[in-house]
Amino acid sequence: MTTSPTAAPDVRVGVEGLTKPQPLRPGSASDHRGRIALAGMLGGVATASGVALTATSGWLIARAAERPIILTLMTAIVAVRTFGIARPVFRYWERLVSHDASLASLAARRSAAYEALIPLTPARLGRRRRADVLTAVVHDLTDEVEAQVRVTVPVVSSAVAGAIAIGFTTVIAPPVGLVVALVCASVVLVSAVAHRMETSSLGALVAARAEVVRVSELVTSQADELRAIGAWATAARWLDDAHDGVARATRAAVRGRALAAGTYLLVVAAATIATAAIATGLEVSNPVKALLVLTPVALADAITPLADAMRARAQARAAAARTAKLLAQDPAVRDVRGSLPADAGAGSEQFRGVRLTDVAAAWDGSNALGPFDLGVGAGEAVAVLGPNGSGKSTLLAVLARHLDPLSGRYDVHTAAGSHDVLTEPLAEARARIAVVDDEPHVFATSLRNNLTLARPGATDEDVLQALDRAGLGRLVAGLPDGLDTILGAGGRGLSGGERARLAIARAHLSGRPLMVLDEPVAHLDPPTARSVLADLLAPRRDTDDRGASTYPHDSDAGQGTAPGAGEDTARVAPDGRRPAVVLVTHRPDGLDLVDRVFTVTHPHR
Amino acid sequence: MRPFDPRLLRVVPAARRPVAALAAIGIATGVTTIATAFALAGVVVAVVDDRPVAAPALWLGALFVVRAVLAWATEVVAAWAGVSVSTALRTALVRAWGSGGARPDRTTAVSLATAGASAVEPYAARYLPTLVTAAVVPVLAVATLAVVDWPSALIVVATVPLLPLFAALIGHATADSTQRRWAALASLSGHFLDVVRGLPTLVNYGRAGRQVEVVREVSERHRRATMETLRIAFLSSAALELLATISVAIVAVTVGLRLSYGSMALGPALVAILLAPEAYWPIRRVGQEFHAAADGATALDDIIGALDDIIGALERAGAPAAGADAPFARVDLRDVTYSYAAGLAPVVRDLDLVVGSGLYVITGTSGVGKTTLLDLVAGLKVPTSGALTAPPSHYVTQRPFLAAGSIRANLTLGHDDRRVPGSDDHLWQALRAVGLDGVVAGLPEGLSTRIGDDGFGLSAGQRQRLALARAWLAPEPLLLLDEPTAHLDPDAAEAVNALIVALAHRRIVIVVTHRPELVAVADEHLHLLPLPDAGDPAPTATHHDLVPAATHEVTP
Repeated sequence: MTTSPTAAPDVRVGVEGLTKPQPLRPGSASDHRGRIALAGMLGGVATASGVALTATSGWLIARAAERPIILTLMTAIVAVRTFGIARPVFRYWERLVSHDASLASLAARRSAAYEALIPLTPARLGRRRRADVLTAVVHDLTDEVEAQVRVTVPVVSSAVAGAIAIGFTTVIAPPVGLVVALVCASVVLVSAVAHRMETSSLGALVAARAEVVRVSELVTSQADELRAIGAWATAARWLDDAHDGVARATRAAVRGRALAAGTYLLVVAAATIATAAIATGLEVSNPVKALLVLTPVALADAITPLADAMRARAQARAAAARTAKLLAQDPAVRDVRGSLPADAGAGSEQFRGVRLTDVAAAWDGSNALGPFDLGVGAGEAVAVLGPNGSGKSTLLAVLARHLDPLSGRYDVHTAAGSHDVLTEPLAEARARIAVVDDEPHVFATSLRNNLTLARPGATDEDVLQALDRAGLGRLVAGLPDGLDTILGAGGRGLSGGERARLAIARAHLSGRPLMVLDEPVAHLDPPTARSVLADLLAPRRDTDDRGASTYPHDSDAGQGTAPGAGEDTARVAPDGRRPAVVLVTHRPDGLDLVDRVFTVTHPHR
Repeated sequence: MRPFDPRLLRVVPAARRPVAALAAIGIATGVTTIATAFALAGVVVAVVDDRPVAAPALWLGALFVVRAVLAWATEVVAAWAGVSVSTALRTALVRAWGSGGARPDRTTAVSLATAGASAVEPYAARYLPTLVTAAVVPVLAVATLAVVDWPSALIVVATVPLLPLFAALIGHATADSTQRRWAALASLSGHFLDVVRGLPTLVNYGRAGRQVEVVREVSERHRRATMETLRIAFLSSAALELLATISVAIVAVTVGLRLSYGSMALGPALVAILLAPEAYWPIRRVGQEFHAAADGATALDDIIGALDDIIGALERAGAPAAGADAPFARVDLRDVTYSYAAGLAPVVRDLDLVVGSGLYVITGTSGVGKTTLLDLVAGLKVPTSGALTAPPSHYVTQRPFLAAGSIRANLTLGHDDRRVPGSDDHLWQALRAVGLDGVVAGLPEGLSTRIGDDGFGLSAGQRQRLALARAWLAPEPLLLLDEPTAHLDPDAAEAVNALIVALAHRRIVIVVTHRPELVAVADEHLHLLPLPDAGDPAPTATHHDLVPAATHEVTP
């Protein structure tokens, strides 16, 4: 099995060949900040040019109204033209610099966050809906980094333009300079208030939006079940209530920005009137008076973007806080020594089984579940059954080395004898176990790459065989592009059942001796669920008769698929090695197909 | 993509008011902006001519107060419009699916109803207001200019069309490469989401560590590719802005020249140079906002498309036959055929079935169409052909729905508007009937104990019995039960079977089961056989052979 980097294209195929690989330019964080500040300066020049354009146009017109010799207007005309050209040019430059810096910073932030997420995966990502938690991280990172373009640049730009305006007006007429300075101070104050209001209302808005997502997902995915029991009208009302919540939270959230947008204009009006009053008594030429009166109005263009910037800032800070909180967690497992190459354990030992003895564990230090005893022998199929909350997932997490137990032993039996799994390097312990969870991910890459990530050296023959064992042989045969078919976002969609089978095929291909399935069929309808599990478990009974199921219920031979014997043998690996299976479930599907059922009882309340 | 899709107003009537409000505020803002230019010119003229400034200043102040109020209102109404439109779309979708409209697969449906509808929010809250301004302000500005100073208006009218033309030319020249780049960008920016969502899988197979370098590399490539695209976008918007500036400069220069020749007064000249830019900037801004709201526009397109399909289909189908209002006394199926989609082999074919009273048991091998038959009778699926009538039903599916909430709330779910006796005594009676009273009584908070999503904290068998207790409480005259004892141990199954027999005394009960116990006590028994493949001879047995307490084998 090769571990050379060239054999690890994994999931990047969809983006190959866009540009030639170039040496990376890994800028440091301070480097990004410096370039964002530069962008702010450039934006300031662009904004100031806009202000100057309006003011000097007024000057030009007022001067022309005095009917001078045309030549004397040339200075004004040149100034207007210069500012007219400077504004778009500097804006263009600012955008290039700010977006480039922000994207570079996003790249750095993403890889850092990704690296930080690895030791927290999966145990610290919540017990269910981990994909949603991870999606939120991606969006939060984008929000956080985009703040540079949407917050820092406009704020710096406005500050620069304001400072320039204060400077010029002060030189021409100090009292007007004072008025402009007061405008800037008021804007800072209003923005601060708006920011505070945005921040304080944001929590409720995020919660209300999350509630809408929860309810609409529930109502959408369970529409038939709700209609079946006549609860559709009630469910529609849940959605209405959630929508009302969002409407309320939005009304509260918009207050800050609406207040800012209105107040900014009032400040501009007051400043214009004050400047007009001051200008009448000034000992300056008429064109300069026109310039001064128009300056506060022109500044409005520099001020109004701040309302949006304050909202973006509040959002970005909340996003940054969420990400920081998630990434600050301690891993749920401690690694004993440095990591070994991932595939070290799997092939080198003769797996005979694992045993958990007196194991108690907890996700968060309290509410320990257990103690459990569970042994699984090579090639054996065990179902772990029990109600939600009884500790099935905890048991699984210990078994998969996602979670350190609080107490108890975890041993592996090999041909060479038994040893303690908990003192093994993490990578070695995990390399024994292929986990299939309840939300199997399909990468946006070819079908082949989706499987070979479990075993990079695998041949097409291995891949096809793994797919066949998982019951996907017919699907693959029907694909025009075969193993090259692109799956995932933008590619061929897979049904829930096909996704579960794909994850099982991955586990088969990995060749790992123990397969742990965590509610693999939880989201599937009962017939699909049964057929997925039958394809996973049925061959074992037909080809390797271990006697009757110990499942106490009378089983029904008619349920599930009843494939012919020849087909069954085909699904078993030619070397005869089958993984041991631990099936964690709260549904009874497939229980008649396992060797043993291990029931986790509900903890005493 | 169209700037505004009028289908929105037709398909989602709830979106009409917010859009109308946005339009009204947009027009008011446009008018006030024009008026402000006059007031500002008045103030400047007063200052320059050394005349009293108070009167024009008062006008200016008043207009700015109006503009401040409008700016405040724009934010409030825009936010309201964003929420109302996205909410209305989501509600329309969910209701359409709830009333039997064809639903895409679960993942697509959920993403359309959650992220899709939410993506429309910025489109309605930010893009639509800008669109209104862009439609109103330039027209008003040019019209006013025509009155105040027609030569300036002429210059603007001559140059404004250059903007979209110029934009189109730039767009056309770069369309090909932009298209290609967007596709590449989508794949690059999707990569991070993909590997992050797949992180548990990558960690599982020890592949996560290597991805750090890949993430860095792809993010860098994303940066370079984005910048290539953005450079063109920024360049074209800079070019447009330059064009607008040059046009305003032409206005300013001609105005200046006429001023210096004395053929024009200062006031109109100031109005002209203040109004001329107003004719240009909304057009440029709408382009920027559209870029920002493009995701929303795409989502809007998808949702309206889905709604259009469903509404069309429902109109074609007419009122559903198994309506809850029609008091049918018995279940009556005539020549009912059902297939999942046109062109697929039917799951149920030419089935005739009459159930008038008592316990009716349906058996058959897996996949033979038993559940589909119950779905049809419950009205969850509409027959592809044939006629079906049935009284209102309560249907206990194989995975009965249990909400996050108290046991009491779950037992009375859906009954709150039908005034079913919901007293606790009644609920206890129901729990006793399914043998769950002991378990619930043992819980610390009894009926008020909360259970989680999908029945957290209850075993599969307990959830099943809770669902049966709910069925016991339900007022509907027809009960449909799909494998009611599948999750139960033999003792509990026996109790539930007895309960089912008792229930059949006062209502019609149709049970799908694979257990023999119920078949023995059934009033009628239907055994479904697999449909023969096309070309096979038609089956001989039909429902006409059915007699009480007899077993018959038919193909559905």
